[in-house]
Amino acid sequence: MLLTVGSNILRIAFLILLQAVVVSRIQLFDGLILPWVYIFGILMLPFETPRWVTLLVGFVVGWVMDYFSGPMGLHTTSCLTLAYMQPIVQKFIAPREGYDSIQRPTIQSMGLPWYLTYAGVLSFIHHAWFFFFEVFRFDDFFYQLVHIVLSSLATLFLMTIGQYLIYNSKSAQL
Amino acid sequence: MRNIIVLIQRFYLFLLFLVLQVVALYILFNNNDFHRAEFIQHSNDVTGYIYSKRSSLSEYLRLREINDELSLENAVLRSERPENFLYIRDDKDTVINTKTLQRYVYRTAKVVNATVNREKNFLILDRGKLSGVDADMGVISNGNLIGVVRSASDHYAVVMPIIHADFRASVKLKRSGVIGSLQWRGGDPRIADVVEIPKNIPVTVGDTILTSGYSTYHPAEIMVGTVETIDDETSNEYHVLKVRLAADMRMTSQVQVVGDLYKMEQDSLLNLVRQQDAANSRK
Repeated sequence: MLLTVGSNILRIAFLILLQAVVVSRIQLFDGLILPWVYIFGILMLPFETPRWVTLLVGFVVGWVMDYFSGPMGLHTTSCLTLAYMQPIVQKFIAPREGYDSIQRPTIQSMGLPWYLTYAGVLSFIHHAWFFFFEVFRFDDFFYQLVHIVLSSLATLFLMTIGQYLIYNSKSAQL
Repeated sequence: MRNIIVLIQRFYLFLLFLVLQVVALYILFNNNDFHRAEFIQHSNDVTGYIYSKRSSLSEYLRLREINDELSLENAVLRSERPENFLYIRDDKDTVINTKTLQRYVYRTAKVVNATVNREKNFLILDRGKLSGVDADMGVISNGNLIGVVRSASDHYAVVMPIIHADFRASVKLKRSGVIGSLQWRGGDPRIADVVEIPKNIPVTVGDTILTSGYSTYHPAEIMVGTVETIDDETSNEYHVLKVRLAADMRMTSQVQVVGDLYKMEQDSLLNLVRQQDAANSRK
């Protein structure tokens, strides 16, 4: 239990730093593609996390991220929405027998199709919310849509690669 | 009463979500000076530290380029020294210059953090109020326009660059001196728009755009960029000019902050006139 909490906190802290120092510097096609990989920390919370904890974690993670990459409140509101939707999406795509307590939301534990649906849908929700509230106008709707879709695909791609790099079947317990 | 408690128990998650969401959106849409000040204060501590570390690393990797930039600027400045000029003798022997007063002062600063891929980008400089940098001062780099200082703490300043959706500046065509307005609509950080130049004014691709000096932020004749494309379809009365910016925001590391010594005087005069106008219209 304590190990799980600690490893999740460490992971989130590492991801926020990675996002601020490295990933936010990525400039593909003049800012058209802008991945926010730090949401991986929220996606990796164990299935049995109480929903109110997920919500608070989302709020705090967004808040900290806002300090690195203003304006204040933008990451907070997007992460909060992500954290609210996460258990709902999990419920939608749950296997017939539900989730096991030893299962984790990883590729190794749940398989690639499940993971791609889960992370893809949630990163799209997060990015759509984020880029909508960043601009807050409806002109250039098509550009914004491309912006959102390409950015969430980039995030999904980086998160999937990251999983293959970091996790092996042994450490998938954490 | 019991029904309400049952209702709350059932929907407490959604309520918690709503409450937190309201807090977040309130902060986002009231992103006023208070939050910005708070932000800078914190960027003083943890994030400021992390970003300074990163920028010193990336600066180290770019030392050669920065060297070239600086030596070029040195050469330009050296060529402006008085002993490089031949003076044509005037009818006076000595010129004691009391006709001119210094209006603008320049301070160097280093960019410690910058975003360029967002809609509302910003730069953070490593100089603040203690070294004379304050809100509403202009920022240039190698003689090219960068932006305006938005607010400053003791040691840091946040700059609103040209590539910020709310940035506006008064600019002019070098050729005809006609005034337009500079703004940026997102996307490519090297391209900005100049609007409000009437269609009867001839513009050709490659024309130079300079600051007009009509605001107290920047001196006149600071390089902004060159016209890249001319769009006459969008508006009936005005050209919409796409301008390639002279400063590349993605590579800027050394900037100069321009302070206007007479800004106070100009602003207070303007305020005085505005107050008089307001008083007159009330009568």
